[in-house]
Amino acid sequence: MNKVTENLRKTAAKLLQDKEVEMVIGYGLGSEAVRTQPVFITSPEDTEKLVWNSFCVNGLTKYLSDLKTHPGKLAVVVKGCDSRGIFRLTQDNIIPRDKIVVIGIPCAGQLSYTKLASKMDVSGQLNDVEEKGDDVVIKTTKGDFTVKKSEVLLDKCNTCEHHNPVVADHVVGDAINASPTPDSYDEIKKYEAMSTEEKAKFWLSQFERCIRCYACRNICPGCTCRECIFDAIKPDWVGKEIDVSENELFHLTRAFHLAGRCVDCGECDRVCPMDIPIRLLNKKLLKECKELFNMETPGSVEEGGSVIGQYRLEDPEEFM
Amino acid sequence: MADKTIKKDQVKTMLNKIAQSNQLIAPIQVDGITLFKPVQSGEGVVLDYQNALVPPKDYFFPQSEKMFSYDITDPSWAIKLAEGVPNRVLFGARPCDVKSILLLDKVFDAEFRDDFYLDKRNKTTVVAISCNECRHTCFCGAFGISPGEAEGADVLLTDLGDKYLVEALTDKGVSLLANFSDLLTDDDGSGKAAKEKAVAPAKDKQMKIDMEGVKAKLDNMFDHPMWATESMRCIGCGTCTFVCPTCHCFDIVDFNNQSSVGYRYRCADSCQFANFTRAAGGHQPRPSKKERTRQRFMHKLRYFVDRYGDFGCVGCGRCLEKCPVNLDIAQIINKVKEVG
Amino acid sequence: MKRLLEYVGYDPGRFNARWISGSEGQKWADTTKDMTEKLKALGPNKRFSK
Repeated sequence: MNKVTENLRKTAAKLLQDKEVEMVIGYGLGSEAVRTQPVFITSPEDTEKLVWNSFCVNGLTKYLSDLKTHPGKLAVVVKGCDSRGIFRLTQDNIIPRDKIVVIGIPCAGQLSYTKLASKMDVSGQLNDVEEKGDDVVIKTTKGDFTVKKSEVLLDKCNTCEHHNPVVADHVVGDAINASPTPDSYDEIKKYEAMSTEEKAKFWLSQFERCIRCYACRNICPGCTCRECIFDAIKPDWVGKEIDVSENELFHLTRAFHLAGRCVDCGECDRVCPMDIPIRLLNKKLLKECKELFNMETPGSVEEGGSVIGQYRLEDPEEFM
Repeated sequence: MADKTIKKDQVKTMLNKIAQSNQLIAPIQVDGITLFKPVQSGEGVVLDYQNALVPPKDYFFPQSEKMFSYDITDPSWAIKLAEGVPNRVLFGARPCDVKSILLLDKVFDAEFRDDFYLDKRNKTTVVAISCNECRHTCFCGAFGISPGEAEGADVLLTDLGDKYLVEALTDKGVSLLANFSDLLTDDDGSGKAAKEKAVAPAKDKQMKIDMEGVKAKLDNMFDHPMWATESMRCIGCGTCTFVCPTCHCFDIVDFNNQSSVGYRYRCADSCQFANFTRAAGGHQPRPSKKERTRQRFMHKLRYFVDRYGDFGCVGCGRCLEKCPVNLDIAQIINKVKEVG
Repeated sequence: MKRLLEYVGYDPGRFNARWISGSEGQKWADTTKDMTEKLKALGPNKRFSK
């Protein structure tokens, strides 16, 4: 068991024992070797279920929104990208900062389940995982497998802005000194350079695939409206019919509602069952907002709020 | 009808012939994902896929479909029923998906006959393909489904290397095969003999789950604390229900954009959505994730058995692969056996 | 908003955002006339429609 997992369990157990928190939300082993699942620990004995490894891909901050009326404080385990979601929630007044105890874990990158499944037998249970330079050795009950980290890394980890959480009450791993590789938006620029017809063709083909499962919306720490516009029937803003025009309206509206607020945690992209590249939409607006409003990635600092929802004298005035 | 075989390099020609007199629905690659789509010919049809991401149930029970339309300027106020579908052939369904169609038949072709479903069902000839390999998430064997049998399909193909074994399972299948009998050769028995070996890996490598006693345990587990724990991580999206080949809950909505013409449509709805059971007046019989998660597994593994005599799950594994938070039906079944 | 629509393949001429005060009648007329001509040239929009 690695040192981080040990520290994590110790920290969680103490928080629960001292009754400083009522619940610790973290990662536990999943049903397959290279998956983890969110676990909700309420007693010190159960902290044995907590783990930290290269498969802790889930963002757990959204659960804070669901549990905001839970008595007592809640502890949550966050990586760098997730930690920005904490500030998203506090800036939006979803949950007060003093109700959360943040357990931060510096992260050097997470591995993608789909990429791994194409390279190895992912069934069975995880015994151990070790990073040896460029290689990752994954030891499971179905055998040991070595994969090249660069080939199975989650796409979003190639442009990591915060290896170390931006906020943490407890840090249970060693800080990562590797310099961040913020996104230069080269990928977005590629899509911007397409002709109008090519863009239309590409995006309509993506929207056509959408099955309106709303996984992207439900996992997003920025999507916390009490009644989502897409659930409202009176008025019927967006019909429930699943066709390309309604789907397009859903994606563009959601992207726009998040403009200036999206913390770029990448979860929406990961959870989509139809492989729709949602990050290309959110990142595009992030790029635009950064250029127009000279802002940092939302959620990077505690103060802030939606740049689009605030007025400053220096805001650009292209529309005058 | 006796078993036949068809050479692999003739399959495209066969599909082209089918496409001439039927609408052909077959698996193709769309942006790297295998999906069942209507195609004009055999060009582009993939044969080396495990299973399509979205099950072919979509072609019997679409995610959304118009039921009827109206025009209030029409003095007779006549309701115009949605048109039916053309005759079509569904090519490439796997045995798990074929079983799911039989399960949907129990729902839509019962004391109340759903005309929208039946129109599509009756006009579709199903050509299934046995599985030689399986995904790491497959477990059809748990529900008595064999990767090499497809009761409910009209024709069953099995990949034997350089050729396919072609078995006609129904009269509809026989009629279909008559369209390209020139491409088929009689099987001398060796094809059938090779079938068992061909599908063996799919039987051996899939997840082995023993459903013995699970239903009986679930009968007494309505108030079991495991639902509260397992449901905590659910995010209430509809992924599992929308990729599931047997899920069939729907909503009916009227659409009118301020004109004299409008229509009524039905669309897939998910019991995992928070508002699914919200009734007029605000009453909510499934107020939290605990009730909704419990409902999903109870429906598939207990209520469906009570009502229709068969499990509602076919072990295709799509839900557990795509669930963003690893709510795994196989893991749930094992937990039920352990704590029930 | 304009940038998002452009990005997903709408012709840039279809969307325009302009700040016009109630007392700027001429500006309003000019903007509307301009857009109408542009849109007529582009033809009907097929997306977002049923």
